[in-house]
Amino acid sequence: MEQKQSGCTGGAETVLNLQPNSTISITYHPHFGPHDDLILLEIDDKLLPDVLHQRVTLRGQPNEDAVLCTQSKTYSIKFVGNSNSVFLIPPVDQSALHELPQYSDEKDDDQRVVASVIKVAPGNMELVEVAPRLDKLKLLLLENPFISEEVSEKEGLEGMDEQKTNLFKWNDLIDRVQASDDELRSGLRALSAVEIDGYWRIVDEKYMGTILNMLLHNSVLNDWSLDALGEDEVVGVLESDGFPRTLGLHCLQVYGSKVDEGVGSCVWKLDERRLCIHFAREILKDGKRKMESFLEEWIQKIPDGMQASFDMLEGEVLTEKFGVETWVHAFSVSSLPSNPAARFSMLFQERPKWEWKDLQPYIRDLTVPGLSSEGLLLKYTRKTQPNSDAEPVFSAR
Amino acid sequence: MQIQVKCGCAEEKCPEWAIVELQGVVEVQPSFQGTLQNLEIGQLCRPSSQENYTFTVGYHELSGSKVPLKKPFVVLKKTRHLDANQNGDSKSSSVDLEVVGIIRHRILFKARPKALISSMFYLILLKPCLFSV
Repeated sequence: MEQKQSGCTGGAETVLNLQPNSTISITYHPHFGPHDDLILLEIDDKLLPDVLHQRVTLRGQPNEDAVLCTQSKTYSIKFVGNSNSVFLIPPVDQSALHELPQYSDEKDDDQRVVASVIKVAPGNMELVEVAPRLDKLKLLLLENPFISEEVSEKEGLEGMDEQKTNLFKWNDLIDRVQASDDELRSGLRALSAVEIDGYWRIVDEKYMGTILNMLLHNSVLNDWSLDALGEDEVVGVLESDGFPRTLGLHCLQVYGSKVDEGVGSCVWKLDERRLCIHFAREILKDGKRKMESFLEEWIQKIPDGMQASFDMLEGEVLTEKFGVETWVHAFSVSSLPSNPAARFSMLFQERPKWEWKDLQPYIRDLTVPGLSSEGLLLKYTRKTQPNSDAEPVFSAR
Repeated sequence: MQIQVKCGCAEEKCPEWAIVELQGVVEVQPSFQGTLQNLEIGQLCRPSSQENYTFTVGYHELSGSKVPLKKPFVVLKKTRHLDANQNGDSKSSSVDLEVVGIIRHRILFKARPKALISSMFYLILLKPCLFSV
């Protein structure tokens, strides 16, 4: 349909395609107003396809700052004001904007074309990539850890009480945790969470230890190699000992890795380091121990054929010297917050001064988009070095 | 809570909006306050085949050019719905976000305006909008 050339309404198209040697009138639209429901959001060209193909969502509770999530990343949304006058001109043919009908000023007979401003934008929203906010995930799942009593109360895992409010399915977690789908999945893996009856659960550590001990006991009884455990066999034997199949499999996932075999049932290999950490935590759960006593008990608990070395425990334990004695206590990086400011605060509460070799295992998992580990240290610590031969020491700012 | 950002248009068909940006404020003459709608702000002119533009507001002439945005903007429309609950006794509100347009260019005026002094009396009488920096 051809547009009349006299006094007709143009819009964005007219402005953007303004021909050489022509003039148009810019006016306030008949429905000019604040239109707070119209928001400008700056989007990187790389993200644009995701936005235009409906692959982004806003996530957050009403009391939280909203984040925008793609499949794999999380962005915080910030408003940036603009002191300039930004006149926003919509295109004319807009079926989506029902309240902006076209109009033509029939009184005006001159050749004037008009483009109308619907609002003056005070600024725009912009996106800043952030680390996913996963601390909440841990809090939610620890509200109701899966304990062995749950198994004995019911027949297997069926018929779980659905009225419990602190049990979360995947969609419940998406509703509450400000992270993208991929990051949420990673977070669940990092917490060794397991899906039972559609609910994501963290299994109580003591119960996991019981299952592991049963597995190790059976491996001796049945002469299994800890480097080549047959999934079906292991899960089957654990099931006959009263442990649900899901948890038997979960035990293999937590303490081992699949060995690539190809044909037939899966084969698993127990991971030396994870086992050693598990036993160390078990020994230290009631408090600190003298180094000699700890080492003696630790080496005795570790299965035959496995080697324990103290540096496996970096990021899990700390040592202190009292006179000539060295004591060791549990201090796990997994118990610390993922937010850098909170993390450093807890670290300096534990110990006011740190050498780099001790500090590194406790901060290497910190991810802040756009900030390197040097940047993190600069931002959150004070570095002192008495002389060039001495080790630098980090303390609170 | 999750709000999907909807978009009825695919990349090629997303309606393009325009921005005319001035470093300063357009003031409306007191007699026209409250009846802004349909009022002329100024005249936008493209004198030659280059992407240079002039914008005349009141007795000021601004010179600028069409520049691409370093990162495009999407125009989002936020709609709040009041949904009745299943039992019908309580209402909750939900928010919808939809992409209604994209902006890739703006016509930016940042140079010092030129005063068209000889036209001043004519413009004060007839033009409702004046420009100030």
